[in-house]
Amino acid sequence: MSAPTTPAASAAPATPTPPPTPAGLLRLFVGVALVGIGGGLPAHTRRALTTRGWMTDAEFAEAYTLAQLTPGPNAVNLAAMIGARLLGGGGAALAVVGILTPGLIAMLTVTVFTLGLPGGLPPAVQSGLRGAACAALGVMLTAALPVLKVTAGIRFGPTLAVITFLLLAVLRADLLLVLAGTVIVGLILHRPRSGE
Amino acid sequence: MTAEPLDILLTFARLGLVSFGGANLPEIERVLVEQKGWITPQLLANGFALGQVMPGPNMLAMTHYGFAAGGWLGAFAATLGFYGPTALLSAAAMTAWQRLSRWRWLPSLRSALLPFGAGVLLAGVLVLARGSIHSPAGALIAAASFALLWRTCVNAALIVVGAAVLGAVLGL
Repeated sequence: MSAPTTPAASAAPATPTPPPTPAGLLRLFVGVALVGIGGGLPAHTRRALTTRGWMTDAEFAEAYTLAQLTPGPNAVNLAAMIGARLLGGGGAALAVVGILTPGLIAMLTVTVFTLGLPGGLPPAVQSGLRGAACAALGVMLTAALPVLKVTAGIRFGPTLAVITFLLLAVLRADLLLVLAGTVIVGLILHRPRSGE
Repeated sequence: MTAEPLDILLTFARLGLVSFGGANLPEIERVLVEQKGWITPQLLANGFALGQVMPGPNMLAMTHYGFAAGGWLGAFAATLGFYGPTALLSAAAMTAWQRLSRWRWLPSLRSALLPFGAGVLLAGVLVLARGSIHSPAGALIAAASFALLWRTCVNAALIVVGAAVLGAVLGL
């Protein structure tokens, strides 16, 4: 990630590519959602953008970092940012609609079937869902690993992470208070040095 | 029991705005299960699992929770509330990015937010474990899924579907 890439040097693609259109943008994000079953949406988004020549790797890295800082689901934030960058406010709306629509249709279909049954779920289906939920816990753990690794490299990062965990999981403290507290402590610990 | 669509919209908007770096499961559990009583811990775990095998972002579980809380209108209110405000904020942040990238407090803010995000994720693992692991076999499936995902590059959706089949066969 720290490779010395200058955005200006990679701004001009070698071959002329068709510029992004609203329909093309919508298609791109519907496609990203469809291949992104099971996660990895940012990686698929990057691939789709760079093969079309709509964004350089440096521009994508910028958007990706910013998507981590804004609240909300990262993949959807990323879509909104890329849409906004390529085609303004309308582009942001199209990108979000594109990345959500396939899953929304699938989720609603399954939800109506599973929650709509009058006598509750058949035992086999409930057992299956329990198995899936256990696997989802494994998925959640692997998603947490990169964040934990980066946190381990931050001064006082592990300490603050453990304190956050204890406050939320054990003491069931209000999340906004914990957020405000840890961010204030973190900002004081990591305040920019004068003269930088 | 059907909740007001406006209540659902506002509740889920708040949940979206306090999610950093992924699903904020501790807060989702505190608000939807304990405070509002719209869903059960079992439904929380079920919806999260379903989200893993859907195309697109994993947190489409919010649509599932919204439907449980208030039917079709609830499902749409939850989806709009969870994704709408954060997407708007993201688009606005992108347009302000050029100025923001030179802001000297930005690395500090990142260093301050990341440990918080890590703590939230760890608490989320605990919430999910309480909702989904009821037997030694379940714990084994979770451990095996984690090992497979970590060590190999098998698609996560395949592992979740495989675990569902295993769960149905074992009668978890």
